[in-house]
Amino acid sequence: MTSIGTGYDLSVSTYSPDGRVFQVEYAQKAVDNSGTAIGLRVKDGVVLAVEKIKHSRLLVPQSNRRIMTAGKHIGVASAGWMSDTRHLVKRARDEAHNYHSVYKADIPAKIIAERMGMYVQAYTLYSSVRPFGVSTILACVDKDGPQLYMVEPSGQFVGYRGCAAGKGKQVAKTEIEKLKLEELTVREAVKEAARIIYAAHDEAKDKLFELELSWVCAESGMLHAHVPQDVLADAIQHAERSLDEDDDDEMEDEDL
Amino acid sequence: MFRNQYDNDASTWSPQGCIFQVDYASEAVKQGTAVVGLKSKTHVVLVAVKRSPSELASYQKKIIRIDDHMGIAVAGLTSDARVLSNYLRTEAMRSKMVYGRALPVGRAVSAIGDKAQTNTQEYGRRPYGVGLLVIGHDDTGPHLYEFSPSGIVSEYYGYSIGARSQSARTNLERNFERFEELSLQELVVQGLRALRDTMPQGKQLDSMNTSIGFVGMDTKMTILDGDGTQPYLDQLDEAEAMDTE
Amino acid sequence: MDPVSLELPHTLRGPQATAGYGPTTRTTQPIVTGTSVVAFKYKDGIMMAADCLASYGSLARFRNENRLMKVNETTVLGVSGDMGDFQHMKHKLEDVMTHEYDMDDGQALGTKSVYKCLSNIMYGRRTNINPLWNSFIVGGVDGGERVLGYVDLYGTTYMADSLATGFGKHLAVPILRRRVEGRADEITEEEAVAIMDDCMRVLLYRDCRAFNKLRRAKVTAQGVEISEPYSLATNWSYAESIVGYGV
Repeated sequence: MTSIGTGYDLSVSTYSPDGRVFQVEYAQKAVDNSGTAIGLRVKDGVVLAVEKIKHSRLLVPQSNRRIMTAGKHIGVASAGWMSDTRHLVKRARDEAHNYHSVYKADIPAKIIAERMGMYVQAYTLYSSVRPFGVSTILACVDKDGPQLYMVEPSGQFVGYRGCAAGKGKQVAKTEIEKLKLEELTVREAVKEAARIIYAAHDEAKDKLFELELSWVCAESGMLHAHVPQDVLADAIQHAERSLDEDDDDEMEDEDL
Repeated sequence: MFRNQYDNDASTWSPQGCIFQVDYASEAVKQGTAVVGLKSKTHVVLVAVKRSPSELASYQKKIIRIDDHMGIAVAGLTSDARVLSNYLRTEAMRSKMVYGRALPVGRAVSAIGDKAQTNTQEYGRRPYGVGLLVIGHDDTGPHLYEFSPSGIVSEYYGYSIGARSQSARTNLERNFERFEELSLQELVVQGLRALRDTMPQGKQLDSMNTSIGFVGMDTKMTILDGDGTQPYLDQLDEAEAMDTE
Repeated sequence: MDPVSLELPHTLRGPQATAGYGPTTRTTQPIVTGTSVVAFKYKDGIMMAADCLASYGSLARFRNENRLMKVNETTVLGVSGDMGDFQHMKHKLEDVMTHEYDMDDGQALGTKSVYKCLSNIMYGRRTNINPLWNSFIVGGVDGGERVLGYVDLYGTTYMADSLATGFGKHLAVPILRRRVEGRADEITEEEAVAIMDDCMRVLLYRDCRAFNKLRRAKVTAQGVEISEPYSLATNWSYAESIVGYGV
């Protein structure tokens, strides 16, 4: 970032001489500093998982949610600023509600992703505002089947089979790429998602964290919901076990 | 003071992905005296140290009632807190008017969180320079939330904000696992113990500068000041005497 | 901008409205209507019934309508009056419940809150001289307590152990007074069904907008159950012997 301090990076309404909008890149930086969020689109549903980093043991577990619901059937997971996330979730709810009141049908994933993208993009245009410091992952099942989209601070929105944002996105992406997503069931995907979040977690940097898991599938009545307690416990157990196995493997490698 | 070119307004990101104006607003919270909040299975308590600008002046109010089931404690710019408490009161009344039910505490803090977020995104505004501890009791039991100038709200078993609040937080972290079973009275005393740790050298908690607030399952939001706090302060002294023995 | 904006007399405002179409008018009569709803408390909860007919004046126009709506896990809504207005209210309530779902904080909106919300909407509409032409009965179990409330197009509200709307006010209420009032805690489900069927049968005989295809709802601690449509056994043979009503 050689343009730091040259004055071309102070406003979203200013391009740098090489055609970049630095304020958007800086907003992206806020996303990259946050706990990891992933989404997996599998054959019978979508799974969202978030690594919720906790700065204190005094925080109440399973409160302070990072995955939220917009209009019953859409799940929103996010990496980045929590207060910006809430703003965007509120917008997503308004969009879902608005669409429903006009068409009396649930808003399709593609449409809400597009509308959210437009909204986020508008905050990259004017010097009077700053871009959102979050990447939001949208999950839902509509008439075309399971859907997964990610909206970035630039306003870019892309459909995915699997996606990741936040600190551990590189590790997470590598792990997701190894999965055969179109063959997995949500039940299996929940476990994989937990494993990936645990793998992406950096013990050295953040000690405390909590896994948040949600899904949209037949079991949740095609609505977005946090997974039941037993499913969550199973997934965590699975994740911890596979993390231990990895450690063992590494130790064996060292022995050799 | 340090200064950089990214810290003039809330609508500019720094290259590291920070918004300095929000960070600075969080500093304003530390200018206020400390408040401590903590909860048991049935009750949730706030304790606070009040400051008086001069010997001839009265003490600055720290705990504000929102509704029968909800109250807040303030650290930072009190006038900003009044804007937020007015808003909370309006929302609480609206919930009663429209649905005939007490506003769920989590939704109340989310509402002020969302309000505060706007101030961190638009040019020509400043973030609220106040931190709040919000306590309340609803269908899902007692709750304690922290509201910060960034618009982030978080739920805690026990927490403290304001000047030297780190000492209180350390105290709470050491003890919070026992809070669940405590009686209201024990909870207040436990809170005062944490609060005492934030007092500067040579200053003591007394009935003039201490404020206590609590709410619970069958207890409406209550605020104690002056003589009302004395019994609890006496118990604090007793408990301390026991400790030293 | 709302993509659906049609220029209809009632959507116009100001001088334009008066010039082109005469003064602005609001609903002055219902169009497609449902008749009575009957509801009462019994031992395990509340029971409610309504038939499946939506009349167009005296024409039995739509004969497979559902006038009992499950609002949430503990609440059911019975409707008489204008079916279009009801559908509007239904969407409103669905929006409220969607919002509640999104909050995801374990604080369900109880029957009393639904009733209060509905009453506020109805009173607000009538105060704006633009009423929704309905009478509603809200029933449910809220925190272990049975709740039964009435609200109509005037925003009038009252709560009782037994309620009815429309013709039911005249024909079912006397029966309910005798058989339910003061006994709500003793009535078994079986007896409740019998009482309900008797009320609906009387309505069927006397109310010319009633229909022999109806649904029954019950709300208990276990939740809401709305039956499939069913018919009552009737006997019209002694109709011939009734004389003196202008025949």
